[in-house]
Amino acid sequence: MTVGTTYETPRAGERKGEVRTVNVGGMRVPYHLTLLERPDPYLDIDSYDPEADLMALNMGPQHPSTHGVLRVKLYLDGETCIKAVPYLGYLHRGVEKLCEKLTYVQITPIVDKNDYVSPMMNELAINMAFEALLKVEVPPRALFIRTVCAEIQRVASHLLWLGTFGLDVGGGIGGGATLFMHTFREREMCLDLFENLTGCRFHYNTHQVGGNRHDIPEGWDQKVKRALGHIASRVDEYEAFVENPIFKARTIGVGVIDPILAMELGVCGPILRASGIDFDLRRDAPYAAYDKVEINVPVETAGDAYARYLVRVREMRESIRIALTLLDGVPEGPISALKPVKGPTNVKPKPGEAYVSIESPRGELGTYVISDGSPNPYRCKLRPPSLHAAALLPYLAPGSMVSDIVATLGSLDFILGEVDR
Amino acid sequence: MSLLSLAQALRVSFQNLTRPKNTEPLPWKGSRERAERYRASFALVHDEHGEEACIGCMLCEKICPSQIISVTQGPKAPSAATGKPRGWCTDFTLDLNACIICELCVQVCPADAIIMMRVQEKPGFAREDLLLTMEKLYANEKLAKLTWATPTKLQEMQDPKPKRPEPVAAAPAKDAAPIKDAAPAAGASSAKDAAPGAESAPAAGTTPSKDAEPAKEVPPVKETPPASDAAPAAGTEKPSDA
Amino acid sequence: MMEGGLLFGNPWLHGLIMGVIVLSGAMGVAAYAVWFERKFAARMQNRPGPTEVGYGGLLQPIADLLKLLQKEHLIPRSADRPLFNLAPVLVVIAPLATLAVIPFGPGLVGTDPSIGLLFALAISSLMVIPVWMAGWASNNKYALLGAMRAAAQAISYEIPLLLAAMVPIVLTGSFRVGDIVAAQEGGRWFAFWPPGPGFFAFLLFFFASLAESNRIPFDIPEAESELVAGVTTEYSGMIFGLIYLAEYLHTFIASALAALLFLGGWQGPGPDGIHWMLLKSLLVFAVIFWIRWSWLRYRSDQLMAMCWKIFLPLGLVLVMASAIWVQLR
Ligand code: SF4
Ligand code: SF4
Repeated sequence: MTVGTTYETPRAGERKGEVRTVNVGGMRVPYHLTLLERPDPYLDIDSYDPEADLMALNMGPQHPSTHGVLRVKLYLDGETCIKAVPYLGYLHRGVEKLCEKLTYVQITPIVDKNDYVSPMMNELAINMAFEALLKVEVPPRALFIRTVCAEIQRVASHLLWLGTFGLDVGGGIGGGATLFMHTFREREMCLDLFENLTGCRFHYNTHQVGGNRHDIPEGWDQKVKRALGHIASRVDEYEAFVENPIFKARTIGVGVIDPILAMELGVCGPILRASGIDFDLRRDAPYAAYDKVEINVPVETAGDAYARYLVRVREMRESIRIALTLLDGVPEGPISALKPVKGPTNVKPKPGEAYVSIESPRGELGTYVISDGSPNPYRCKLRPPSLHAAALLPYLAPGSMVSDIVATLGSLDFILGEVDR
Repeated sequence: MSLLSLAQALRVSFQNLTRPKNTEPLPWKGSRERAERYRASFALVHDEHGEEACIGCMLCEKICPSQIISVTQGPKAPSAATGKPRGWCTDFTLDLNACIICELCVQVCPADAIIMMRVQEKPGFAREDLLLTMEKLYANEKLAKLTWATPTKLQEMQDPKPKRPEPVAAAPAKDAAPIKDAAPAAGASSAKDAAPGAESAPAAGTTPSKDAEPAKEVPPVKETPPASDAAPAAGTEKPSDA
Repeated sequence: MMEGGLLFGNPWLHGLIMGVIVLSGAMGVAAYAVWFERKFAARMQNRPGPTEVGYGGLLQPIADLLKLLQKEHLIPRSADRPLFNLAPVLVVIAPLATLAVIPFGPGLVGTDPSIGLLFALAISSLMVIPVWMAGWASNNKYALLGAMRAAAQAISYEIPLLLAAMVPIVLTGSFRVGDIVAAQEGGRWFAFWPPGPGFFAFLLFFFASLAESNRIPFDIPEAESELVAGVTTEYSGMIFGLIYLAEYLHTFIASALAALLFLGGWQGPGPDGIHWMLLKSLLVFAVIFWIRWSWLRYRSDQLMAMCWKIFLPLGLVLVMASAIWVQLR
């Protein structure tokens, strides 16, 4: 995998020439990012320059660009942020506790609502953990369907991200809204595919312990091919729409994340890959049917919002390719290894524990389940990638302007439903 | 160059002026085509003897993750048609306000009594409008042909080892099947299983427990593939025939 | 028909009648500009746009107006009440006063003083004061930030705007708008005729007036993804509608001025008249919307940097170039 920026950033400009990398914990990290100065997220505001006329601005929980109900308390000196404190929990629904109360069968539709931008991934993660507990082997047809669905979901999720990022940097009454409507037009195609498969556009409840609940209907693969081919051509259009000096001015050098900080905070997914670390669970720890395809992982080293944009757009293309490749190889066979669910307590794993993680569009989505032999889990811990991305905010916001904070927030792409659970 | 890319943005948005509209004002004008498997609202159905199919087993109440179904079990009484004793349901409510459309209640119903239908969601003007009482659910039965998934069909689709040799053998003579809804469902399942039976070799490696079973069933099943196209349609139209 | 540019001998009578005509016309244009923009943007985004009120949503502006009139006029408790109520009224006054000197056809003007252009630019830039007032009086942090941005932006973009307007002034030798239009007789529009400076001055004027009227890519004061709604955050009902109206009027005036100064005003191939003026200014108006719904937004410091580093020097060079042109001619 090549490591290197494909565009000039303010920092890349200082270096000239090839990217030097250093070895941090076995990972090759671009050298220029290891030298970043890190702001103090615990800055004592009272001891900050008493002459400065600071203004505390509560961004959120109701704010157009906090993507849900995140509240960020910003201490502003003029328009420059001195300190940012994110307050989480406005969307806390007690999902982990609910999981303890519900049976293995009932949990799937509930965790759907965690990362409400890519429900397919939540179902996949939790059901893979249950399958690991039960030690059942999922039939290959189900694995292929799951993988194809996951990739389509990734495309849909990144499309939504691109649209909302447009809103963040371009405004809801302006070019951003146009981009938003265009990406939603294509995202709708993905959702139509899911509707054809599962009957729901969202919150499908199509995975179950041991396999899938819905088999591929007739002609679905043709629909997928048509829709994904169409989306692939439209991605070019988004690039033509977005890659102009204004967008670059708003994103290049904004919200630069150094990979060491990212690793310390457990950030993963496109954010980590945009910071120069080549890590993707689909390739590095294949699950489902990912070992059947070749996966190219896009990596950028600049670590700024533009790098994250580039990584996500390339991932979209890559996902389309993976989905189309896998679609051709869907084997025949049953779609579930267990008997169909006929009651709430049908699934009863032996006492034990399991951790399974998958690569959701936002990073490593992990599920840790402990079973005590009863039909509901003893403990179910979800590891949402968004929470770790949100943890970056206090490090990224200080020193930037309000507009940049909004662009940074947008580029981190966290989903509050998942952060708060 | 950079200014040219600004012009590109203008070009893209101008290009889109000529594209067809992508949204429609709902629900007054136009309507969206629902996918075959679309699920929105519920109905309770009568069985082939004209009796209420629900046997009041309360399984749907137990499995509902939102706990919005409440079933009142009646005493066992002989069925008027067959004379055999069976359970009855005296009251049934389903609160659509909190339903998460997870299809689990449909999946578990042993009597094929509750189904989800492909209808357009209607907004209610009061909370009670979304509270489906037993009367409303039975009134919905006339829309039953809009349904895709009967419980049997869903379970057949998921069953790793289809274990009903009789319906498979009797598939050509559909009317002979004991339960009305099960007949097309069995037809569908046999058609679906026919294909895996023919190509079960790749699947066999990873699912060792099953390679014996499908192999046994291959010969009788192989005759049914012509039915495969018609099966889903039959599944939706059969209730209206009766 | 015309005596000294007056339609009705008496300047007072003329002013009164023209005032009524121009104001009501401009209000109608502003209202229907909203409709047009909504339709246009909707089609760009593959949406139908307003469809419900009237044929193709044509009555939508009236419905919006009625809706805004019915709405409660909320005043935050901690707001500065007199200023809060006064600001939106003053905001509309600035563009309406500017309309007095903008001719829409030969003689179709409230008054055409010898410093007409100067007056128009000066009065329309006064809008920043009530905007600042609104932001301050709302006692809201977002409104305050928006007002600060608006003030900074309007003040700095005033200069390139004036410099760009200087080019036709230098070429004509008069501040009177009527004279400037007359100087573009015979298709020698300033946007094209002195080949170099005119065209760039047109672009400069166009973009500077985008910034003046807070349109994308310079809509920083009301950047709704950052500042919720900028100065209008706390406003509701018709008093919000007034600010909204003023923005559209301001944009319309900017496009009318661009048409007058650079595109030959009411002159055109075929018979001259108000139709050409309306066509040209609405065309510029449409381009503004087209840009608005296609581009993203700059950051405020980038905007300032662009103003002082690019637009200002460019403006100075253009004025020099046109002065040299005039000398050499
Ligand atoms: S579909 Fe609705 S009623 Fe049925 S189990 Fe799910 S939540 Fe309950
Ligand atoms: S609808 Fe089905 S599951 Fe529910 S009580 Fe009746 S028979 Fe049992």
